[in-house]
Amino acid sequence: MTRFVAQRTTALIATLFAVSVIIFMAVRLLPGNILDLFFAGDNTATPAQMHAAEVQLGLTGSYPSQYWRWISHAFQGDLGHSLLSQQPVSDIMAKALPIDIQLVIMALFMALVIGIPLGVLSAVKRDKGVDYFSRISAMIGISMPSFFIATLLLIFTSQVLHWVPPLSYVSIFQHPVTNLEEFILPAISIAVFTLALVMRLVRTTMLEVMNLDYVRTARAKGVPRRNVLTRHALRNALIPVVTVAGFEVGTIIIGAAIVEVIFGLPGVGFQILHGIFQRDYPVVEAAALIIAATFVVVSFLVDIAYGFLDPRITVT
Amino acid sequence: MTAVATSSRLLPRRRIAVPAKWRNPVGIAGAVIVLAVVFTALFGHLLWTIDPNSPIYDRLQPPSWAHPMGTDDLGRDTMARIIHGAQVSLQVGAVAIGISLTLGLVIGLVSAFYRGPVDLVLMRCVDVVFAFPYLLLALLVVGLLGPSRVHAMMAIGIVFAPQFARVIRASVLEVMGQPYIESSRSLGANDLRVMARHVLPNVLAPVIVLTTVYFSQAILAEATLSFLGLGTQPPEAAWGNMLATARGFVDSNAWMSVFPGLAIMITVLGFNFLGDGLRDILDPRLGGDIADAVTKA
Repeated sequence: MTRFVAQRTTALIATLFAVSVIIFMAVRLLPGNILDLFFAGDNTATPAQMHAAEVQLGLTGSYPSQYWRWISHAFQGDLGHSLLSQQPVSDIMAKALPIDIQLVIMALFMALVIGIPLGVLSAVKRDKGVDYFSRISAMIGISMPSFFIATLLLIFTSQVLHWVPPLSYVSIFQHPVTNLEEFILPAISIAVFTLALVMRLVRTTMLEVMNLDYVRTARAKGVPRRNVLTRHALRNALIPVVTVAGFEVGTIIIGAAIVEVIFGLPGVGFQILHGIFQRDYPVVEAAALIIAATFVVVSFLVDIAYGFLDPRITVT
Repeated sequence: MTAVATSSRLLPRRRIAVPAKWRNPVGIAGAVIVLAVVFTALFGHLLWTIDPNSPIYDRLQPPSWAHPMGTDDLGRDTMARIIHGAQVSLQVGAVAIGISLTLGLVIGLVSAFYRGPVDLVLMRCVDVVFAFPYLLLALLVVGLLGPSRVHAMMAIGIVFAPQFARVIRASVLEVMGQPYIESSRSLGANDLRVMARHVLPNVLAPVIVLTTVYFSQAILAEATLSFLGLGTQPPEAAWGNMLATARGFVDSNAWMSVFPGLAIMITVLGFNFLGDGLRDILDPRLGGDIADAVTKA
C-alpha cells in the first residue's frame, strides 16, 4: 500500500509539472504575441514602455527562467495581475473559486442522490417499464448539452412558473435563500449529464455484482433481499462510481464555465472565458492552471481511494 | 426462476448466429437517426430552398406552414439554418475525428509496435494531454489561436487523439501477441507489411466503435465552442451559435432555442445509439458503461 501511494504521488508531481509546462508554453508559443496585443494599434509605445510591459508580464529572460518565476510565484499565491483591471489574479480567483466549489458540490450531490437509487431500481427491475424508462432518459441526458438544458429550464421557469433566477451573484453565507435560488438551475443543468452517467454505471455494475457467488450465498443463507442489495451488492457496485464521480469533478468545473456564462455567475470557468475574449493572459493562465491542477489532484485522490476500497488494485 | 436467469447471465455474452447478432434495436434506431441527419446535410438545401442567411421574413415568428421552425431575430428561416447547421456539424465531426483517428493510429501503432522507450515517451505524452479536462484544452487552443471553425476542428481533433491512441495501442498489443504475427514474420514480412496486412485489419472493430462514439462528442464539443462564440462565427448558422443568439429571445420566441437544441440532442443521441449498437455487434469486450464513462470524461 505504501509503495502504491508513493508511486502515485510521484506520478502526481510529474503530471502537475507537465500540465503547468503545457499551459505555460501554450500561452507563449501559440500565434499572437502577447506584447503586440498589449499595445494593440499603439505605435507610439517607446522601447522603455515595451520593456516595462515585458517585465510586468513576466516575459523577460529565457523560457526556463520565466517558467521558474511564474511557478514559484504561483506557489506563493502570486499569480500576477490582470491586464485589464490590474487586480491581483489571486484575488480574482479567490472570489471565483467558492462559486465553482458550490456548483460542483450541488451538482455531484444531485447526481449521486438521484442517480444511484435510479440505477439500483433499474437493475432490480431489469427489463421492466422502470428500467426502460430510466435507461432511455439516461441516454437522452447524456446527449443533451448543458447549455440546452439550461435554456429549457429558463424557458420553463419564466413561462410556466413566471420566475426568473436572480442574476447577480451573492454568497451563500450572506443570503442563503437568494444564493440557492441562483444556483439551483445551473446546478441542475450540470448535474443531468453526471446523473445519467452514474445511473447507467450503477445499473451495469449492480447487474454484474448481483450474479456473483457471494450475493447468491447471502441470499441462500437467508439474508433478506433488501439487506443483500444494500450490504452486499451495492457496496461493491459503488466502487466504480467513486472513479467516475472523481473524474466528473474536472468535467463539471469546466462544464460549469458554460452555465456560469448563462446564469452570470463569475466562477473560474467564467473567468477563463472572459480572459480568452479579453486576451487577459495572466487570468487565462491562472484559471487553466487551477482547473487542470484540480482535475489532476482529484484523479490522484480517486486512485488512492480506489486502492483502499479495492485492495486488488494495489497488487498490479 | 432466478436460477435460470442467473445461469444464463453466467455464460459469456456472445452471439454466434449472424442474423441475431445484427438484431439490435438500439443500433438500428441510431443508424436511422444518423442516416436522417446525413440526408438532411446532403440534400436538405435542395428540398428546402430558402437561403439560411436572407433576413427577409417577419421576425421572431413561431412555427407555421411557411416556416415550420419559425424565424429568428433577424427574420431568417430557422429550418434553413438548422439544415445548414447539420452540414456544419457533420463537417466538424468528420474533420475533427479524422484528425484524432490519424494521430491516434500513428501514435498507437508506433507505440505498440516498437514498445520500449518509444512507447514510454509517447504514452507519457498521451497521459499528459489526458490529464486535462478535454474542454479546457480545446478552449485554450481555440482561444489562443483565435475563434473560428477551422481552429475549433483542430482543437477538437487534438484533444480526442489521446483516447484513440490508447485504445488503438491496447488493441495492437493484443494482436501482436497472436501466433499469426509471428508466422508472418518468420515468412520474412517486414514491419510495414505486418502492420498493413495483419495488425490494422484486426484492430478495425474497436476503431469503428470509437469513431462513432467520438463523432457525437466532437459534434457536442463544436456546438459548445460555437455557443461560447469560439467556433463557427455568425452570421453563418451552426446549432451552437443559433442557441447562443436565441438566449436573448427566450421570452419573445422560445422556439428559437428549442429547435437548434433538439437538433444537437437528436444527432448526438443517434451517434451514441449507433456506437452502443456497434459495440455490442463488433466488440463485446469493450464493455459497456465503464469504458463509456471514462471516454466521456
